Amino acid sequence: MLKKRLVGVITVRDGWAVQSFGYRRYLPLGHPEKLAENLDRWGADEILVLCIDRTRRNVGPDFDLLRRLGSLGLSTPLAFGGGIRTVAEAGAIIQSGAERVCIDAALRDAGVVGGISALVGAQAIIGVLPLSFDGAGLQRLDYLSGRSTPLTAADLSLFDRRVVSEALIVDWRHEGMTAAFDFNLIRRFPAPDVPLIAFGGVSEADQLKMLFDDDRVAAVGIGNSLSYREHAVQMLKRQAGGTSIRAARFVSDSR
Amino acid sequence: MKKITVGIVDYGVGNHASVRHTLNELGLRCRTSDDPVVLDGCDVLLLPGVGAFRPAIEALRARALDRYLLDRADRNLPLLGICLGMQLLAQASHEDGFTHGLGLVPGEVVELPAPHWHIGWNTIEQVQVDPLFHESDGQSFYFNHSYAYRGPIEFQICRTNAGEEFASAIRRDRIVGVQFHPEKSQAAGRALLRQLIVGLCDA
Repeated sequence: MLKKRLVGVITVRDGWAVQSFGYRRYLPLGHPEKLAENLDRWGADEILVLCIDRTRRNVGPDFDLLRRLGSLGLSTPLAFGGGIRTVAEAGAIIQSGAERVCIDAALRDAGVVGGISALVGAQAIIGVLPLSFDGAGLQRLDYLSGRSTPLTAADLSLFDRRVVSEALIVDWRHEGMTAAFDFNLIRRFPAPDVPLIAFGGVSEADQLKMLFDDDRVAAVGIGNSLSYREHAVQMLKRQAGGTSIRAARFVSDSR
Repeated sequence: MKKITVGIVDYGVGNHASVRHTLNELGLRCRTSDDPVVLDGCDVLLLPGVGAFRPAIEALRARALDRYLLDRADRNLPLLGICLGMQLLAQASHEDGFTHGLGLVPGEVVELPAPHWHIGWNTIEQVQVDPLFHESDGQSFYFNHSYAYRGPIEFQICRTNAGEEFASAIRRDRIVGVQFHPEKSQAAGRALLRQLIVGLCDA
């Protein structure tokens, strides 16, 4: 059966990997390609690189970074996002070595997303939804304005029509915090057939297990704590995955 | 022993960089081209592909590579299709309407049943004895697709369970297709890719 995925998320700002705290404060970590190289060696199921400043600056995707990542010859699937505005940019990302693209602000432009889907296939598109729960319902954050508004059926139409394959649910309020992911974002997500990637504030095995036990969750993204804890990929897989996730591997296994 | 040269068919669709890197790591020589003269100098061709069926087959036709691949098949030269590249080997696809494929392997490409997506790691189970896949039987590989090959059982080498089973590897003589991405499947993928390339050259 299809396994659930443990996704290593690398957050990039100004070309540097950063630890982000709610997308408001940042600490530098180093070169993104070094983190990607390690996640690849350690057996993460997917690597997701999110350049969080590209959309706000309207400068398009960071192709220089993508070229550097491509030169590593990663043997782990790569998803790349941040700043994608056009069909051509999305196509160029796939051509440059990523398997999938993450669409954020452009999700509001059905024409662009439809064009991307026709070119690279819906399976290659992850829609990014930064959400919070205010006690009454889910709120979607607009990165550009910094304002949250109720999540509507219109926000989900591209998912419902299968123009986009998976939703990256970003718990932006708890992103960068330990064991803080708000499960309401999954439980109250109104489109039960959309496969979800949960990200933001997930760091512990019990959280991971609870998320993997949810049928709607196809993958869980973990940022800094996956890269800076000893054998975190192996440990989390062993403690939380059970049979629902691909078994942990060590380099020595292939010798 | 002669070093094997793999020709990556460049038709403007697909992730050549990843495939090329993996092949180079395996010690194989690579040429990426849409020129039949260059490709004819290669021992085995690799047809990659990411995206939708129709623009991909149109891109092959626009470069007359469809006729070239058919001609190579007539000469019994080896060809490996990966992901969309495997689907293009079939007679037709029902993705976004009906579109004819290369017709190198009998069968058609149809949409996966609900939940429609098959994204992530899954195992392949060998359903026909084939030395190319023997060592990889039961191992996990990375899939990313929503359509799959449906055709005669005689051409199906491996199947995968995604709620319902589908053919994850097909073969007709020296033409092989895999629905998953061996180049993105870490150690298991590299081992299989080497086996496929070397095995197809020896077949």
